[in-house]
Amino acid sequence: MSHKFSRRKFLRNSILGTGAMTLGFPALNVNAKEHKIRVGVVTSLSGANRFGGNLTRRGYDLWAEEINKLGGIEIEGERYPVEMFYGDAQSRPASGADAAERLIIQDEVDVLFGPYTSGVTLAVQPISQKYRVPMISGSAESPNVWLAKPAFNFGMIPAVDLTTDKSMMVLAENLGDRAKTASVIGVDEPFSKETAEGFRKGVEESGLDLLSYELFPAGSDLSAIVSKLKSENPDIVAIGGHEDIFINFVSTAKALNYKPKAMIMHYGVTSAAFIKETGTDSNGILGVSVWTEGLPYKDELFGTASDYSDLSFSRWGTRPDYTEAACSASGLVLQDAARRLGKAPPWDQGTRAELAKAIEDTDIETFYGPVGFAKEGNHFHNNTKPVPVVIQIKNGDVVPVAPENASKGELVYPIPGTS
Amino acid sequence: MDLFLQTLVNGILIGGILICLTIGFQLTFGVLHVIDFAVGGWTMLGGYTAYWLVTLAGIDPFISIFLVFALFLLIGRGLGPLIYHVRTSRYARPDLMALAFTFGIFLFMRGGALWLWSYNSRSVESVLSGQFLSLGPVTIPLMRLSAFVMALLFSLGLFILLYRSRFGMAVRALAQNHDHAGLMGVDVKRVSAWVYGIYTALTASAGVLIATVYSVNPSVGIRYTLFAFFVAVLAGLGSVGGVLVAGLALGLLEAYVATYIGARYSLLIVFGTLYLTLLVAPKGVLGRGI
Repeated sequence: MSHKFSRRKFLRNSILGTGAMTLGFPALNVNAKEHKIRVGVVTSLSGANRFGGNLTRRGYDLWAEEINKLGGIEIEGERYPVEMFYGDAQSRPASGADAAERLIIQDEVDVLFGPYTSGVTLAVQPISQKYRVPMISGSAESPNVWLAKPAFNFGMIPAVDLTTDKSMMVLAENLGDRAKTASVIGVDEPFSKETAEGFRKGVEESGLDLLSYELFPAGSDLSAIVSKLKSENPDIVAIGGHEDIFINFVSTAKALNYKPKAMIMHYGVTSAAFIKETGTDSNGILGVSVWTEGLPYKDELFGTASDYSDLSFSRWGTRPDYTEAACSASGLVLQDAARRLGKAPPWDQGTRAELAKAIEDTDIETFYGPVGFAKEGNHFHNNTKPVPVVIQIKNGDVVPVAPENASKGELVYPIPGTS
Repeated sequence: MDLFLQTLVNGILIGGILICLTIGFQLTFGVLHVIDFAVGGWTMLGGYTAYWLVTLAGIDPFISIFLVFALFLLIGRGLGPLIYHVRTSRYARPDLMALAFTFGIFLFMRGGALWLWSYNSRSVESVLSGQFLSLGPVTIPLMRLSAFVMALLFSLGLFILLYRSRFGMAVRALAQNHDHAGLMGVDVKRVSAWVYGIYTALTASAGVLIATVYSVNPSVGIRYTLFAFFVAVLAGLGSVGGVLVAGLALGLLEAYVATYIGARYSLLIVFGTLYLTLLVAPKGVLGRGI
């Protein structure tokens, strides 16, 4: 038997082999993918917003870990594990858009979980729209995110104008006749300004007298603003901004011998960093939170809000804030929508559009609270259902004080040591 | 009337902070002819160093300011020859290269601060934090008052150094003409390096005070760079004396506009005034440099 080497035969076999592999690989690949739901996370894992970005990642990851312990998302009696893919937005909108496109094209994700900041979310929205990939945002809070009526984007946290408006009304109702006047200040930048405007709306709707409404540029010296507030002496001072403004306000007010009867702030006031940096001066300060661990909500995967907090603490070593909770709840929304969709992954463009429709029709109760997305108006596709909780810092602890169903302690008013 | 007086005090004290921030910047421009983009970065690092010293070693900022001064004097002295080398380069546009070089240093500082201290704002506590002096209807925050006093001391010290010492004479000679100063026996490279060291030491010390009055985070640097630049331009680039007048004027303007017109317009009016002043007096309020 001759085993003579034939160059022609070798070339022919090589070409045939390569062709078979090239044609066969996608089939193998599809086969490997078809039993998984591929979820892309676009968030800021580096840059200025990496702290918040990593909070979102923790929230998303915790859900993925928990659902995978059960074997994955259940669709028509079958369980499909979740595989997570990450795209670093680097705290920049343009990088976020690039990362989203990479996740969709290269990693072929079926669904996206959204960025930490509203700016990056706005940049990623057109990408999710272009490729018809539903995106559930566990963090973006600016009302601008929803003004363009994004067909494929859904937001878990109510826009900041809704939360601050409602929280001021809750506070005014709780204080009754004890508070009659309020002043609102805020940084003249998108998120903070919207926060301040929400507070102003809440003041007007709750019948309080608005003594002043003042916006100031980021990085301003606050001594003039504090001096003005001191001379006006309102019952409530509401502040729209981030932690650095709150810290500066508290220290400037203290240095000018001014302590209002009530101070309410929004994002960051519940963070450990704020409480640590302001020390005992944070006592009595009020804040707004969409979620706290004491709320009476629950679901099948995470149990109660308190159970979720314990689980997150055991996994990450810190108690979750409402951003982490909202991100984990994003997974619950996907679970529910996929179950109602009733189609096994991978999902093509048409199926993803159906999935977006299923997400739009969400109406569930979770450990994070009720979830339902607005189908019209300026808050289109924003979850407008949660009622914000007014919290108060008491000896370094964040204590829910209003509304009544969430309250874990008395609202201290006026703050001891008030001017 | 009470608010008017309080605003007057607020404005003077803001002016003190601006003077602290800018005085070293003026010196380095006057002598090295470098617009140092890293001025806000040195301020930020000074603040963070004080933060570390107070949290890790319990050293109050009023003591640590001397340590910060000494530390940054050495750092600046070490970096000075590099700045001098870039500024006197034979290649095209060394002035722009120096600007780009200091911008690079600034980015490095900012990235380093993010890595070391994360994005959260840090408060620097001092024995005077939250303390105040009441004079009738006017409240004077002691921390800001001490920053103002420090600004005066910085200025006085700098004037004594410049006008009452041989080193100061060499610095003034350099500011007038590098070549002539060199021909008269001044070691141009060495003096320039020390000037950069004094600048970084003054600016980082100002950062200690600023972090104690406000707080510090990695993003504050760019803000302080801009403020230093605007005060310096109004003062006349390179004019140490002009900083006193320009700093106080901008502080008072900011305070009165924020109180009586609206805080939202304070920067607009401050920068508008700056623009108009430069149209009338392009060399700054005193019309001369060092």
